Amino acid sequence: MSKNVGEIMNTKLETIPAEATVYDAIEKLIDKRIRSLLVLPKDENDEYGVVTVRNIIFKVLANKIDPKNIKIGDIASKPVITVPKHASIDEVFDLMKKNNIARVFIKEDNKIIGVISFFDILGYVLIEKAKQ
Amino acid sequence: MLEKLLGGGKLEKKVLEKIKKYLDTLCSATECLKNLLITEDVERSYCVENLEREADVLKREIIATIYEGAFLPYVRPNLCTFIEITEKAFEALEICAFEYRYLNKNIYQNIKEDCLKVAKINVEMCQILIKAFEALRGKDNLRERNLAIRICEKKIDEIKLEITEKLRKCDTCEIINFWEGKNISEFVESLVRISDIIEDASDYLYILDLSLK
Repeated sequence: MSKNVGEIMNTKLETIPAEATVYDAIEKLIDKRIRSLLVLPKDENDEYGVVTVRNIIFKVLANKIDPKNIKIGDIASKPVITVPKHASIDEVFDLMKKNNIARVFIKEDNKIIGVISFFDILGYVLIEKAKQ
Repeated sequence: MLEKLLGGGKLEKKVLEKIKKYLDTLCSATECLKNLLITEDVERSYCVENLEREADVLKREIIATIYEGAFLPYVRPNLCTFIEITEKAFEALEICAFEYRYLNKNIYQNIKEDCLKVAKINVEMCQILIKAFEALRGKDNLRERNLAIRICEKKIDEIKLEITEKLRKCDTCEIINFWEGKNISEFVESLVRISDIIEDASDYLYILDLSLK
């Protein structure tokens, strides 16, 4: 695979503050028809997190916790798995396989600048194959 | 499929070679537009027009050869329609290159990165369209190519929304002049229309393939 992640990453990141409630996240996920949100750090010492529909279902709804009474920061998965912009698609693919995750974030100068998901990789593989 | 079905006579081969050349020209024109957006060198915008003229000559030759007697009569209008669809991509490319010359570069800088992404995907789509056409000529299945083109088009649709949002919400580049607004709007519209047309052409090839089976 010849391209690097910077060329196929999705730069439109949907974010949510760590202090927001899970209910806010649910609203955003439904409105935008997406499956995950990047959780912003609370302060300089905090780190980025990620919250997925899976997190919400297993950690909140399945435990009968009211989503309005729990903060996103409490259920977010941290730290997020990141790679630099020039990493290869193969590296991302290996990380996904090793950590059993569906998305890897792209970090530059300590800031998350993009995300690459299963779907992006699937599209990339199909496009490359069609070009052969 | 086409060659297999129609025996590959002299006129048929001539038409197919010319269609391939026509699609190569389309690919060169998308490449040309991409280079224009990367370098921001307005002089490069004229190569799109030159290639469009070359394609126009090819189109006339293709249609003339078809009606000289190439292919079975029921296939002829389908091939002509395919050429007419792809011709629209040249029109969009030409408008895009033309509008670029008059763009307010302050406004453009805010969407440059997204426009470049679109231009790069357009080139990829053209390359896949050529492969799809070759698949139609041979025994290959062009379903995979059609799917890849649809994926590319979907990506461009998403980028289009981002461009529109950036233009609407830009604080540093508020558009207050009618002509500037019209200019940037037509530039973006034509840039993203290219992929729509390539998708239509690919769909048409797919239908043509199915109808010949």
